[in-house]
Amino acid sequence: MNIQDNYQKNKKKIFFSENKDIQTHREKLINIFENDGFDKKNNESLKNINLKNFIDFKYRYLISEETSVIYNNQENNYSIVSVNGQCLSFKDDKIEITKILDEDYNDFSKNDTIENNDHFVNLNSLFLNSGFKIVIKKNNNIKIKISNIITDDDLTIFQKNNYICEEGSSLNLIEEYENKNNSTSNILNVIKLEKNSQLNHFLIQDNSPNHNLIITSHSSCKKDSKYTQKVYNFSEGYVRNFHYSELIEANSEADLQGIFFLKDNNTCNNKTFVKHLAEDCKSNQVYKGILNDSSKATYFSNTHVDQVAQKTEGYQLSKGILLSDNASYFSKPELKIYADDVKCSHGSTIGPIDENAIFYLRSRGMSKIAATKILISSFINEELSSIDNEQMSEIIQKKLVRYLSKVK
Amino acid sequence: MNSETLNTLNTYSKNRYKYGFVTEIDDEKPKKGLNEDTIKFISLKKNEPEWMLAWRLKAYSKWKKMKEPQWANLSFPEIDYQDIYYYSAPKGFEKKPKDLSEVDPKLIETYNKLGIPLEEQKVLAGVAVDVVFDSVSVATTYKGELEKLGIIFCSIGEAIQKHPDLIKKYLGSVIPAGDHSFSALNSAVFTDGSFVYIPEGVKCPMELSTYFRINAENTGQFERTLIIADKGSYVSYLEGCTAPKRDDNQLHAANVELIALEDAEIKYSTVQNWYPGDENGKGGIYNFVTKRGLCAGKNSKISWTQVETGSAITWKYPSCILKGDNSIGEFYSVAITNNFQQADTGTKMTHIGKNTKSKIISKGISLGKSQNTYRGEVSFLRKADKARNYTQCDSLLVGNNCGAHTVPYIDSKNNTAVIEHEASTSKINEDQLYYCRQRGLNHEEAVSLIVNGFCKQVLQELPMEFAVEAQKLVSISLEGSVG
Repeated sequence: MNIQDNYQKNKKKIFFSENKDIQTHREKLINIFENDGFDKKNNESLKNINLKNFIDFKYRYLISEETSVIYNNQENNYSIVSVNGQCLSFKDDKIEITKILDEDYNDFSKNDTIENNDHFVNLNSLFLNSGFKIVIKKNNNIKIKISNIITDDDLTIFQKNNYICEEGSSLNLIEEYENKNNSTSNILNVIKLEKNSQLNHFLIQDNSPNHNLIITSHSSCKKDSKYTQKVYNFSEGYVRNFHYSELIEANSEADLQGIFFLKDNNTCNNKTFVKHLAEDCKSNQVYKGILNDSSKATYFSNTHVDQVAQKTEGYQLSKGILLSDNASYFSKPELKIYADDVKCSHGSTIGPIDENAIFYLRSRGMSKIAATKILISSFINEELSSIDNEQMSEIIQKKLVRYLSKVK
Repeated sequence: MNSETLNTLNTYSKNRYKYGFVTEIDDEKPKKGLNEDTIKFISLKKNEPEWMLAWRLKAYSKWKKMKEPQWANLSFPEIDYQDIYYYSAPKGFEKKPKDLSEVDPKLIETYNKLGIPLEEQKVLAGVAVDVVFDSVSVATTYKGELEKLGIIFCSIGEAIQKHPDLIKKYLGSVIPAGDHSFSALNSAVFTDGSFVYIPEGVKCPMELSTYFRINAENTGQFERTLIIADKGSYVSYLEGCTAPKRDDNQLHAANVELIALEDAEIKYSTVQNWYPGDENGKGGIYNFVTKRGLCAGKNSKISWTQVETGSAITWKYPSCILKGDNSIGEFYSVAITNNFQQADTGTKMTHIGKNTKSKIISKGISLGKSQNTYRGEVSFLRKADKARNYTQCDSLLVGNNCGAHTVPYIDSKNNTAVIEHEASTSKINEDQLYYCRQRGLNHEEAVSLIVNGFCKQVLQELPMEFAVEAQKLVSISLEGSVG
């Protein structure tokens, strides 16, 4: 079924279908799909994607009988289980969880940082059927762990989450995506950091081969705030990680990092985009990938420095290791700079595992496979050792061991 | 800073385009506009055989269906292809003069103003010059000596007459007419350019050089250059450009094809200094150039060096297709943009053969209100075992109204190939500036010195004749916008 049919048929079930403004906006989006379509040739962000899954899909959504849970296990330590993208409302003196509202939709649709031609974000706006909003209240220091669970096969989840960190707050957020069914999730996270707030965001992705995950985030940072994002992608199914960050007030910082492990026929598309709109801001974009078998990956990174954003520091790094003849990696690290007092750089390397290093280890009695595994582990060691949460570090170590066991 | 640089700065301190004068010579032109008749007219004027006309018409029919490439980071008004003259040859040049005495003295005067005294150059520089004034080759020097070695160095028009086999075999083999709209346009209407053939095992003893010059108002310049280096040969080719001051934008869409066979090496150097437009962004040349080299044989090498200081718009990507095993591609570039200039330049290295190597060094300097983009693609195809690439692109920003952008595309499909890419963007280091100022240099001198140092890695790749000129050019280009 095509997009238009899906929309007309399920119009009433989608969020905010009563709101006229939103309806008009959605009609506009439909027009974009009709006119532009998914033009793979002129839109490089669609590279390597099996579009059929996303154009000809069958819209299906149900509210599960299993309800979501929120624990407040220790002081300042919350666990949330979100089921099919929904979450119960909750409120105490530190955090508040609610459903998303009409105004949250508008707030996003007017945002132009996310490129107009990002069709997957448009799809999300069009079919929005779930999502929640979390507010961290002033000057609180909170830890939250969210497990995203999908209950059934063939569901299409279009989810939008809002995270707001109020002034002086600090949030440590761990999100887990581990699904074993054939569903598709299209998730948009809109993150706002108020003055002097801080968010450490970890995303652990480990889905089965038939589960598609499209995750897009848009964060905006106000004065003295800092957003750190770390993506660990062990998925065997398709994953799209597109993350946009806007530094809108002075002295803010964005750090977008990711590592991905691919094998078999899997594909993964990554993008990070940092827009410097104020002075004295810093950004860092680092992605590392290991590609085995016939896997394919793309990574687009972009640092945009506005004319007013003097004293900017912006760094990008992309590293890829190809383990097999059939793997391919495409990277495009872009710099767009309109201010003169800046320090910006990017580096990018793609290649095999260093033969000299293998030789060194083998000459000390190690087998070739053992040597390869050690070198892969050391390639991403920096990312792994920076995890200060012991429990999470253990989870990721286990997944790494699982991936390495398939490396020959 | 040495006294020479100071003198140069003084000389150019009025910040006017030095080469902005017009020689008045009657032009013989077809009507404005592009259609089959124009192409037939050009072909007739050039006395071309029928197969050439057919080739042109085929390219034209392809062009009609094409749109201009849109991906570059440039903005300019739409080009009206029907408002351009496609052929302009000084009168009385349909039959070529045998030596300089037969050449119109006014032309000779123009060259003297440009600082290319043909007479002197013969003796002093050891450079054989194939001068293109507008579209027809005027004089070719040093031909005899080259002929002795079997080297063919002539205008492409002459090559079509005299060496049809080589032209038929190689013309369009690296840049097919239908590659993109500018290559199709060039293939349809090209009027002149150079042709070089170096026979097997011959090392060309001198730097071959051509000076191009746009003269007639509203005349697009469409050169076609073809260089073939046969097995085991070597050639170094220089290209330099200057253009007179004009208000109307002039279109320039050249195609340059290089072919290096087994063990051959081609070194191609360019200093591009077309008229960039005035301080307000008025006028200037639109420079849409396609340059591509094919390392066809084993162990072949192609090296591009360019210094880009002119043109209102530069759209230029000298590329290498590394097909032969062990072949090497190099690209060294300095691009300086000032006032309202826009440059989108870079390279494309396509690794096909085993053990192929490429190196890219690009330096961009933006001043005034200009936009300077490096755009490069490095791709390793599946069979490019043990291929290697190293890319470095640095940008320097002077002033707060300009932009510097880096857009590299990196694609690897081979797991034994290694690719390294690094880029940085910054302004001139305050410490370095302070150091120079402290030693008595004024601000402008200090900037000029630092920028020259920044470009040195590229400038030292130029042949001697060009290196000196290029250094001066770099200093002149910074003029007036520093401080």
